Amino acid sequence: MIDVFANIVFFLTITIFSSYLLLGVFSAMALRKYLRKNSYINYNSLVLSPLSPKISIIAPAYNESRTIIDNVRTLLSLYYNNFEVILVNDGSKDDTFQKVAESYELEKVNYFFDYRIPCERIKGVYKSKNPSFNRLTVIDKNNGGKADSLNAGINIARSSLIVSIDADSIIEPDSILKLVKPFLEEKEQKVIGTGGVIRIVNSCDIEKGHIREIHLPERILPRLQVLEYTRAFLLGRMAWSQLDGLMLISGAMGMFDRETVISAGGYSIKTVGEDMELVLRMRRHMAEQNQKYEVTYIPDPLCWTEVPSDLHSMSKQRTRWTRGLIESLWTHRKLLLNSKYKRLGMLGYPYWLFFEWLSPLIAFTGIVYTIYLAIIGSLNLPFFLLLFLFVYSFAVTLSIWAVLFEEITFHKYRKKRDVFKLVATALFEPFFYPVHTYFAVRGNIDVMRGKKSWGKAERSGFQADQPNGKKKKTSRSVSVRQLIKSGIKDKPVSTT
Amino acid sequence: MRLAVLIIGLMLSLMLTLMSSGMDSSVKRGDAYTVSMQDSTQTAQADSKQLLIGNKSPWLRNITYNGHSITLVNALIIVILSCFTTMVILLIAILLNRRRLERETRLTEFLMEKYQGLIVDYLFGNTQPEDFKAIASDDFRRQILINQMIDVSVNLKGDTEKKLVTLYKHLNLDRDSMKRAHSKKWHKKIKGFRELAFMNIRSANKEMYKVLNSSNEILRMEAQIALVRLSEENHFDFLSHLKRPFSLWEQITLHELMIQHEIKPPEFKKWLTSANDTVAMFALRMIREFRQMDAEPDIVNTLSHPSVRVRLLAVQVAGDLRMKSTLGTLKHMYKTQDYLTCLEIIRSIGKMPDLSMMGFLQLVLDKEDDVQLQIEATKAIENMGEEGVKSLVKLMKSEYKNYNIIIRHVLDRRIY
Repeated sequence: MIDVFANIVFFLTITIFSSYLLLGVFSAMALRKYLRKNSYINYNSLVLSPLSPKISIIAPAYNESRTIIDNVRTLLSLYYNNFEVILVNDGSKDDTFQKVAESYELEKVNYFFDYRIPCERIKGVYKSKNPSFNRLTVIDKNNGGKADSLNAGINIARSSLIVSIDADSIIEPDSILKLVKPFLEEKEQKVIGTGGVIRIVNSCDIEKGHIREIHLPERILPRLQVLEYTRAFLLGRMAWSQLDGLMLISGAMGMFDRETVISAGGYSIKTVGEDMELVLRMRRHMAEQNQKYEVTYIPDPLCWTEVPSDLHSMSKQRTRWTRGLIESLWTHRKLLLNSKYKRLGMLGYPYWLFFEWLSPLIAFTGIVYTIYLAIIGSLNLPFFLLLFLFVYSFAVTLSIWAVLFEEITFHKYRKKRDVFKLVATALFEPFFYPVHTYFAVRGNIDVMRGKKSWGKAERSGFQADQPNGKKKKTSRSVSVRQLIKSGIKDKPVSTT
Repeated sequence: MRLAVLIIGLMLSLMLTLMSSGMDSSVKRGDAYTVSMQDSTQTAQADSKQLLIGNKSPWLRNITYNGHSITLVNALIIVILSCFTTMVILLIAILLNRRRLERETRLTEFLMEKYQGLIVDYLFGNTQPEDFKAIASDDFRRQILINQMIDVSVNLKGDTEKKLVTLYKHLNLDRDSMKRAHSKKWHKKIKGFRELAFMNIRSANKEMYKVLNSSNEILRMEAQIALVRLSEENHFDFLSHLKRPFSLWEQITLHELMIQHEIKPPEFKKWLTSANDTVAMFALRMIREFRQMDAEPDIVNTLSHPSVRVRLLAVQVAGDLRMKSTLGTLKHMYKTQDYLTCLEIIRSIGKMPDLSMMGFLQLVLDKEDDVQLQIEATKAIENMGEEGVKSLVKLMKSEYKNYNIIIRHVLDRRIY
């Protein structure tokens, strides 16, 4: 019996490793094609052209009074000619709305709100008296969560393409240009959504809502996440998009076809993983309507987001991600091995089910089992060390491979010592894996207990992670941004 | 990138080796391996037994692993060693790539500055073509020279442009571009097409026509752009031969090219009947952008196009160009269309105010349940001018139905 269990764990590990290798190969192919293709692209023609489609950017905000002014300014100065910004104040308890109203000279308009997707009651729709800010619309509504706020924004959006973002992320100025391109390249298949790479802002120098200088995080936890994000975004998602099995577009930033979102029913307010759930539902909807569609992905960095820099916040974030994953998988269990949904049902869904949800649980059982064997003195130590070395060396190789991809593609960390720091982090990272596994188990326990809340995460603020631990004073410098809904952060696909 | 692919291949094969050795039963059966392979495996087994685990299971001291633990141990050791080797190779690749990038960037910057100065000097007659021969000696430098010439050519016209093309030919750089245009690799082909288009060299037009219906959309687009630039007349002839979808991205790029290079727009109405829907849509967009009003009768016909997308765009264009002769058709087609087209029909009617449409619009406002349709109908009524506003005021007082919220919304100028 014990031998059977050991065999299962071992062969599952081999399967997971093989799948990572295959994903790496597909990702390399997709990246190569993308880079070659885009080396000839002139995005300026899109900025100048009257044929460019209008885009609605929806930014939900909750208790973000410290950063909201700069964030809105950044959004209004994005490099695109035809867009509107819809800021949704989700019943903030601080003075987020008052600050925006004052700075952008808002006044209430006689808006007839059409609740095409149900959402919490709208208290008012506001426009600026100042024509310079005529792109901005602000919705003030009762608190209902991020998904509910996005639904409110979708209802009011006036264009066929919507971009959902986190109001506290730093958006790359040309991100809209890059996100919209797959929609413009649409052929026989309707493009229903596009996502891109989310990067980690901890330790970077920020000025007035823009990144001035990019640094690798000084603290170990954010640095571990840099590696994790690089691996997940450049290896995982890129490959899944190539395989037509992409199931997740970052909540931090993604572009969607508005009519498809509305037809699918908008964001679900019943899950804490609303970003993944929406993509699954849209894909399911299109397949059930027998419509040809695709969900695309671009490897360009679109926005920068802060990640937890202490274990407590990280625990809350990761357990919530696990809950979101389980809720989404459970809601769409019909997809499992259902050929009607093609690669999504036959490949993407089973992968997420077995490797993203179940494998941390099996890994956790394996860790407990190993400890048990060690206690009763039955552990074959030399073979255990051999197996450990096997898993360790593979995990580190995969991470360094991801670093190579980052170097070849966007080369954001310019200092040579950053490469060595990343490699050193990769060497350390496998020792941290049991912690991830523990978070995943806690997420599962939360689901069994029926936990529904988002949880609160303490965040250190964009500037708190500066070299030497010194905070730099910039207009965006904040000390502790408490009570931020941590669910608005993005999740990477997979970890080793 | 090639190195990465090689490494991936190597790792994959190792993984497969591991999997096959983990499950391998051929040594026992003796049906797949040769005698010598068996010998070596057995020797390895004996050695490893001594070194690692004695004669016991890899998982537990007292349980055997299907009798194949030694093969597994060997395979694991091989994978571990390969992984560590791969790690070192990857790290070296990262550092070398970084060094190469830095050196290339520095050299490119230096050469570009130098070549730009030389080209400008040549155009002003201070340098002779022979002065370039020494610097255009290797492929890397020739490529930078071509790139620089293209950059400079963007701002040139007339004799100066011709002078630059002469230099390009004199240095045989056109041969480099031609070679690239005929390359089997699509990304090189594109580079060649671009260079030839910028330098106005038509020798590769045949090759461009050949890839016009290629499944590679980037190649197709670059061929289209190059052909538009290189054609002396009938710049858009290729539209008649296009079988693949003509994406909005390609349309935007071509439109920008026409504006930038002041290419005379043809009569786009001739493509409204194209069998390729996306070509018909491009024609509609261009008719709107270049305000080709003589296409009005053709637009009326396009309103009954079998494709919903084309029909929707035709409705939009009819409204944008205020083609009043389409009003009757728009009104008649309203009942039979899908939701989005209906919305567009009301919008278009609103763009060309005509009192004869007032009754129809009031009917839409009255009978439709959809809020968006009601809002668009109200807006259209308001656009009728004095009569429209009067009608809305009357509706606001109506006791039959409460239109106040919608009308207040439409009349609030701050919203739109």
